[in-house]
Amino acid sequence: MSERVSWVPEGVDTGKPSAARLYDYLLGGGHNFAADRALAERFLQAQPNARTIARLNRAFLRRAVLFMIDGGIRQFLDLGSGIPTVGNVHEIAQKADPEVRVVYVDFEEVAVAHSQLILEHDPRATIVQEDMTRPAAVLRAARDSGLIDFSQPVGVLTAGVFHFVPPQADPNAIVAAYRDAVPSGSYLAVSQFTQDLQPEEMAGVVEVMKKSQNPMYPRTKSEIEALFDGFELVEPGIVPTPLWRPEVTNTDDPDKAGIYAAVGRKV
Amino acid sequence: MHALTSTAYIPLSHAEIEQALLDSLRALPESPESVARRLVSLHATGPDSLRVTIEVLSPAFELPVLARLSSAYAHAMRLDAFDQQEQIKVAIVRAKQRVERTLRVSQARFQEVFDSAALGIVITDLTGRCVEANDTLAEIVGLDSGADLTDRDLRDFYHPEDLAALGASYRKVSEGHVDRFRDQRKLIRADGEPVWVHLVVSVLRDADGRPTHHVTMVEDISELHLLQRSLDHQLLHDSLTGLSNRQHFLSRLERRLDGGPITLYHLGLDAFSVVNNGLGHETGDKLLKIVAHRLGELAAAKDAVLARVGGDEFALMTVSDNVTSTIEEIQEALGEPTFVDDHGLALSVSVGVVDRPPAFATAAELMRCANAALRQAKARGKRQWALHDPHDDARRRGRYALAASMPGAWEHGEVEIVYAPVHDLETQEVLGAVARLHWDDLSHNDTMALADSTGLSLPIGRWLLREACVQAARWVEEFGDGAPTLHLVLGALQSRDEDLVADVKRALDDTGLPPERLRIALDISSVLAGDDNALVLHDSGVVTALDGFRGGHDELAVLTEVPVRSVITRAPAPRPDSPLHQAMRALIETVHGFGVRFGVDEVHTPEDAEHWRRAGADGVIGLLPALPAAEVTELLATAASPRPEAS
Repeated sequence: MSERVSWVPEGVDTGKPSAARLYDYLLGGGHNFAADRALAERFLQAQPNARTIARLNRAFLRRAVLFMIDGGIRQFLDLGSGIPTVGNVHEIAQKADPEVRVVYVDFEEVAVAHSQLILEHDPRATIVQEDMTRPAAVLRAARDSGLIDFSQPVGVLTAGVFHFVPPQADPNAIVAAYRDAVPSGSYLAVSQFTQDLQPEEMAGVVEVMKKSQNPMYPRTKSEIEALFDGFELVEPGIVPTPLWRPEVTNTDDPDKAGIYAAVGRKV
Repeated sequence: MHALTSTAYIPLSHAEIEQALLDSLRALPESPESVARRLVSLHATGPDSLRVTIEVLSPAFELPVLARLSSAYAHAMRLDAFDQQEQIKVAIVRAKQRVERTLRVSQARFQEVFDSAALGIVITDLTGRCVEANDTLAEIVGLDSGADLTDRDLRDFYHPEDLAALGASYRKVSEGHVDRFRDQRKLIRADGEPVWVHLVVSVLRDADGRPTHHVTMVEDISELHLLQRSLDHQLLHDSLTGLSNRQHFLSRLERRLDGGPITLYHLGLDAFSVVNNGLGHETGDKLLKIVAHRLGELAAAKDAVLARVGGDEFALMTVSDNVTSTIEEIQEALGEPTFVDDHGLALSVSVGVVDRPPAFATAAELMRCANAALRQAKARGKRQWALHDPHDDARRRGRYALAASMPGAWEHGEVEIVYAPVHDLETQEVLGAVARLHWDDLSHNDTMALADSTGLSLPIGRWLLREACVQAARWVEEFGDGAPTLHLVLGALQSRDEDLVADVKRALDDTGLPPERLRIALDISSVLAGDDNALVLHDSGVVTALDGFRGGHDELAVLTEVPVRSVITRAPAPRPDSPLHQAMRALIETVHGFGVRFGVDEVHTPEDAEHWRRAGADGVIGLLPALPAAEVTELLATAASPRPEAS
């Protein structure tokens, strides 16, 4: 057969930049290629504060995970986990309690292969290759992994993910599907770009990303609030990342954080 | 510390970072290299991390220490970057391997589908050359294996007449006007035999969306193939009751016909539609299952064959037995009340029976006979049965057989024209001759009725008109005034034929027969239906009559509107002692009152003729047998020549 049949997935193309590797680069990681770094440079021109934004977002994820562990969560579903970069969820969580189980979800070939490498020897963490905007498939794969018990509370993490989900994909319905699959007492963490902070820079970022494989959709605070339907927002609600339960008095400028963060508890 | 954490993300708590930095500070004078490695492993690796570190440390530490720190930091960063690049490369290799593996699996899956499909599949390039075909297609077109098709032109297998149309359809698909097309065509097999197939054609595109190949799926829908498949698929049972279906029953009946005598029962549930409509289809279905079950037990006890042959109809074939007692058993089995969804239902059936059919009968014939008998039984009411009457059926079938052979007979000249005299009842004179058809032993009317049932009545009627006119003209030529006037009685179809008037005129023109020598009797139904042939013929100078008169009000009304010379009826002769005599007299008087003469067909005896005369009728047909033209000519010649005594 010389023909490629349509059900064959696209091959790996390192010539096209990916948002996951861009994020890795902004965080100071080396898991990226020239194309990713070129995109990052344009991103930095539009938003010079991008490295700080990435760092603050990553730090929020860490605090959110630890907060949930304090709240009794022992299993996490990390949606759109990307390239395993510095301070991964399973590392943070298992340092607090080695029994914590983590299922990473990502769709991108390299991110998945890379995660598999990292997780090879960890029986309590795995990655499933699914599109987080298709909750049914994700939930089935998570169940099949044997790591998540959906009768027990789950920590659902969507750090820096929903700004890649277009409005027509109906993000509220996507969240609702995950919400309905987990018992009450479960937590949802969301961080996502917003045009409420630094609108000009944000518009520039949207422009830069428009032509990439991962166009971005910033959301307002009220749009983000809508994602938490069925959840009770924990203090301090929806705030710029550095203001979400900082460990010590925050010294970063919240107006330049670019990203809103929030955690809710399913009622 | 804050200066450092703002340059890079260090995934540790505040206290942990503080502790790590304090430890580093203590170790710095001794081993700046270990501090550098520690900073890198902490991930204090932002673009500005080293700068702020030096800025913080430079007041307190000597340049050589800071130089060693910087150099070691750069080296550790380099190694760290190598590690990460190594990792990402391995990840990429793995991802590629997985994609290739998926590709291999899906190719294997595709190959399996391709090889084992029941459909013929062929991939052709845009010129129609076969790139790959499966064995199923090879089988359909009569080749040994799919490989035999490779590099051949698929169009070689299309019928030459289909090439243009199919070519256009293929182009439509490759040009993207349609995603695919379906068609039903004939392929020409390698051995030249045609095979009917169903085609579905779609297009394959390359990564840039350009069409590169066509995929043609071919399903063999020739009868033999379908039969084979239907047998393969065990389509022999009724899904609701699990009983044999009609087809299966027929094949079993066929097999049993060669053995001993059998009895065939065709059962129809009485008033099943009442159950279905009143209690719903679900209840109806449950009831059918119960009926099937009870009949099944009975069939098992009798070693009989049972099938569901229609919605509420079953067929039972037994070794020839006592029909009445079997029917009683059937009624008994079904009569016991059945509770379905809380409704108590007692059932009965009507039965058509074919007992001990002759060995040469086919299964289909028997089923038809049993069905006919069932219809008879149903017509009589519920719980009835009827035995198939072979004589009745033979008559009907004989007629069909005859009708079927009529066209051939006519073509071979077996249908003759004969002439029957028309007598004037008052003067006893012959008024004319009616031209009639004669075939086998059949009368004119039977022949015409048969012709009607085969669609032959129009051509035969025209033929009769023309031939009779030719003959009548000859008689006029030969015998002058002594020649008989020609009477033609037309069938219903010809009577209302649009071309009738033209046909008559042409016949008169071509033969030279004077119009007044022709009388045409039209079927009265055509005039009742408003056809104006009678009027137009009258205007053309042809005298007309209406045949098939029965004395109805509408018919009498027509007589006041249409200028006809006479009516012709067929009825038993009104004997003077019959109460009808007076009524007939009155009717004939009425007809006369319209200035119309009254004729009677099929009067065969002088007594009947006399009865009619006394009732007032004017003429009769049938007193003397109809004769072929030659014999009539002879008679006319005898009458015209001077009698021997007189000479």
